[in-house]
Amino acid sequence: MRMLTGQREQVTIEIEKRHQNPEFFAVLPRVKMASKTPAATGRLLFTFKKWYYNACGFNKLGLVRDDTVYENTDVKEAIRRLPEPVYNDRMFRIRRALDLSMKHQILPKDQWTKYEEDVHYLQPYLKEVIRERKEKEEWQRK
Amino acid sequence: NIGLHYLSKRLYVTQAARKAEVAEPFKFPPQEVQVTKLPSGLVIASLENYSPASRIGVLVRAGSRYETFDSLGVTHLLRLASGLTTKGASAFRICHGIEAVGGCLSVSTTRETMVYTVDCLRDHIDTVMEYLINVTTAPEFRPWEVSELTPRLKVDIAIAQQSPQIGVIENLHAAAYKNTLSNSLYCPDYMVGKITPDKMHTFVQNNFTSGRMALVGLGVDHAVLKQVGEQFLNIRSGTGTIGSKALFRGGELRSQTGGSLVHAAVVAESAAASSAEATAFGVLQHVLGAGPHIKRGTNSTSRLSQAISKATAQPFDASAFNATYSDTGLFGVYTISQADSARDVSHFHYAVLPLSQTQLKAEYLMSVENSEGLFDAIGTQALSEGTYHSPEAITQRIDAVSSNDVVNAAKKFMSGKKSMACSGNLVNTPFMDEI
Repeated sequence: MRMLTGQREQVTIEIEKRHQNPEFFAVLPRVKMASKTPAATGRLLFTFKKWYYNACGFNKLGLVRDDTVYENTDVKEAIRRLPEPVYNDRMFRIRRALDLSMKHQILPKDQWTKYEEDVHYLQPYLKEVIRERKEKEEWQRK
Repeated sequence: NIGLHYLSKRLYVTQAARKAEVAEPFKFPPQEVQVTKLPSGLVIASLENYSPASRIGVLVRAGSRYETFDSLGVTHLLRLASGLTTKGASAFRICHGIEAVGGCLSVSTTRETMVYTVDCLRDHIDTVMEYLINVTTAPEFRPWEVSELTPRLKVDIAIAQQSPQIGVIENLHAAAYKNTLSNSLYCPDYMVGKITPDKMHTFVQNNFTSGRMALVGLGVDHAVLKQVGEQFLNIRSGTGTIGSKALFRGGELRSQTGGSLVHAAVVAESAAASSAEATAFGVLQHVLGAGPHIKRGTNSTSRLSQAISKATAQPFDASAFNATYSDTGLFGVYTISQADSARDVSHFHYAVLPLSQTQLKAEYLMSVENSEGLFDAIGTQALSEGTYHSPEAITQRIDAVSSNDVVNAAKKFMSGKKSMACSGNLVNTPFMDEI
């Protein structure tokens, strides 16, 4: 699970770098690719993201992306702040995945998490935790 | 020789002062309290008192009497929640920001009002005002921060239970009134941990409206306060939920706690704060004795003490209890006695000494001498009446009380339906119908 996360981060970073350097795109041979509109590039990106999500494989165990995030101190604090129903759902999914991995099984295909249905429930709390930590560090520095 | 050394130092200073060309000192004309009422209902009052420290406060008519039955104790939690994250500033920033300028944010609640005060040096007033506005108008009540307040709530309640006086007065109000004023200032035990952020938000939405707020400043410019009031304290307009009238029922509550003392309070309904009788009750309170005037003295001049000392030789303490609210009041006697000296309420003398009027005037004037007392006085008057009466006007009002008024007040107390609360070792304490 951890290896997959690492790979995903690397791939996403690479894609972001490409978007930041539009000149790079200009250097690519334009002859072979048709000139893409932003909408078409968006659709291509979406397809790639969806393929990558399915390739990661945690959806086959019924997990959601934020269930697999590495638990550093910030993430631990964000998890502590989750409202109770959300936390209970997370615990249930993790326990089900642990049970399946122990039995070397996966869920039937109709129960796999779909890319479109994946909710990043932890991100708002995580962003807030990081913002508060940065504020504290800023204050200490002054 | 140290004294001589000090003396010579002082002489140096005076010599230097004489040599320097001193310009005419800047005259500080004494200012009056300015009161403005905005169209939204907000009352703004300020006084320029040339003090280096300023004090700004927001008073809201949102005391414990406005709690509903399913949210008893929400004002207690709001009292503790003043430092939590708001929309404009996180809890960390409020705490450290105010600390950095040497200010102080405090909250206090009465049964009728909640007062949020900040005080700091005059130069930093903008910073702390921003935090004050955030706390009163845009709190967020994040669930994890609110649940962290539960231990503090428990400590507060434990401290209150240590004091028998607080217990008796809370019980007195619970026994005397059917609704509103019977709500305790402290959170009841069964609600600890059950007050959700939703309930707090509902209470704030319903009660923290501009029509029920007053913005008071000491040592601030009136124009600045007015601008702040117009821009920021207009979030919720209107009057919010109308509180119901307090209904006096005159019950009795006894709380057997053991120990050797008995704290007892016997009261009857008196007058509302806005009525003319309220001052008469104030004077009557001082006639009967409202605490010793000499520290650690024997309180021998109080009529109550004199009357009761004829009935028992054991140590005791008695003072008149006077509480006025916006639509009702309580007046009576609070006594602390030994468990086995059962006493009846004594007959009072109806002759009034001018001495008690002077005492009441002195107490009022001394209370507005320091900035907290002055702030309280301006704030409560601004909130309840929308104007400010100078101390001269108040003293005139006290002088206007005639002995007839005080006699009538005393008769009203003696004949009115009583309410009683007592706690301690109640083996010999009479019931209300036996007094």
